[in-house]
Amino acid sequence: MVEPAGRLICGRSAPDGKPPLDALINPIVLYIACALGAVGVALALPTRGVSWRVPGGILAAGAGGLVVLLMSLNASKSDQLPNLYFYAFAALALGSALRMITHPRPVYSALYFILTIIASSGVYVLLSAEFMAFALIIIYAGAILITYLFVIMLATQAPVEGDEELQADYDAQAREPFIASTIGFVLLAVLTTMIFNGLGALSTPDAGDALKHEARVLQRLPLKVDTVLDDAGLLEDNERVARWSQGGDSFASLDIAGRTLTIENTKTGQTRQTNPEQWPEDLYATNTEMVGYSLLEEHPGAIEIAGVILLMAMLGATVLSRRQVELDEAAKAHEARRLHGSEDPS
Amino acid sequence: MTDLLGSITLAQADFPQAMGTLTLGHYLFLSAAMFALGLIGFVTRRNLIIMFLCTELMFQASGIALIAFSRFHLNHTGQTFVIFVLTVAAAEAAMGLALVILLFRKRESLSTEEWAEMSG
Repeated sequence: MVEPAGRLICGRSAPDGKPPLDALINPIVLYIACALGAVGVALALPTRGVSWRVPGGILAAGAGGLVVLLMSLNASKSDQLPNLYFYAFAALALGSALRMITHPRPVYSALYFILTIIASSGVYVLLSAEFMAFALIIIYAGAILITYLFVIMLATQAPVEGDEELQADYDAQAREPFIASTIGFVLLAVLTTMIFNGLGALSTPDAGDALKHEARVLQRLPLKVDTVLDDAGLLEDNERVARWSQGGDSFASLDIAGRTLTIENTKTGQTRQTNPEQWPEDLYATNTEMVGYSLLEEHPGAIEIAGVILLMAMLGATVLSRRQVELDEAAKAHEARRLHGSEDPS
Repeated sequence: MTDLLGSITLAQADFPQAMGTLTLGHYLFLSAAMFALGLIGFVTRRNLIIMFLCTELMFQASGIALIAFSRFHLNHTGQTFVIFVLTVAAAEAAMGLALVILLFRKRESLSTEEWAEMSG
């Protein structure tokens, strides 16, 4: 019925031989929901005259909810449900995204987009990306969107309350809503088919490798390891793991998967190993430390490029938005006289 | 493997076990739906600023996909890449809004139709 595209792309079939799309949702239901969603979004887009905004929004939300509900029912069979908060954040993110593209007033669109950003950062927290969640709120909601709000307020006339007729035409009337939302939802149907088919070919990563990587990161944080080991009482008196500080005379190598520490004292030449029960529970790299390691140790060139991009954007914005003041000859002469003041002959 | 992960404190796996592929599918569906909404908004809206906002929505959707894959593969490079997505979004917002202000000063309107002759 539906060609499992994932097999063509990834070259591996799903473990149980069943097309992976069926493991999540019946493709017919998915495509019907996409069609309903397209109609709903097209109705919800702003138009002059009779407004179908509310029924359109309900239709689109219902179609999205149906897909997620069926996906979750199938995923619960193999006990692979996402965290329950995911549903709240996803509903908030998609609902405010819909409201953002359908609201006729630009300021409200920007405010709904801030809501989308906050819900997305909730999703980031669920995916244990705490650093990016807070960076998203600070950078996006705090900086970028405020800039947008300022520009919108500068460039839009204040609407009279309740008077839709005075709304600018380009805000009140969407361009080709039905064709556009058909295209958008065809894209969504194709994307979901491809993604769900490809999921079957993904293999679960080796957790041991991730743990070894984390141990590597911790080796680069000797002061943290020293503090944690000292608090746990695993270090002898006056023994320090932090190599660069005073008394740094030991070296600890970690085996996180085996929960053992090998502490090598270079002064006495003794090597001792701790028991798994003694493993300090605080000894792990936080998300921020892992992202920082990845950023600075693995991609230092990319940071430089990002800095150059930001500098160029700043210069470009300054040059572009500069207002050129044009003065005729008489005004120039007047300005020159005013600047020189006392030398004025007249 | 999941027992191993469940028994230890690991930053990548604050949720004790590795994420299943079907769970990943939920997050990717959220990302795809958000991207489609951003695309529809970009095509239908006729206000220059809202069109830029819709590109930001599409950036955001790609960010969710990157973070979901980063969590699935227990690898932090995806999260690092989102920082660069944020950088590009910030640069694009600065340049785009400067251009919008420039165009608004010339025609006193944010409508895209005002600039239809620029289509080449």
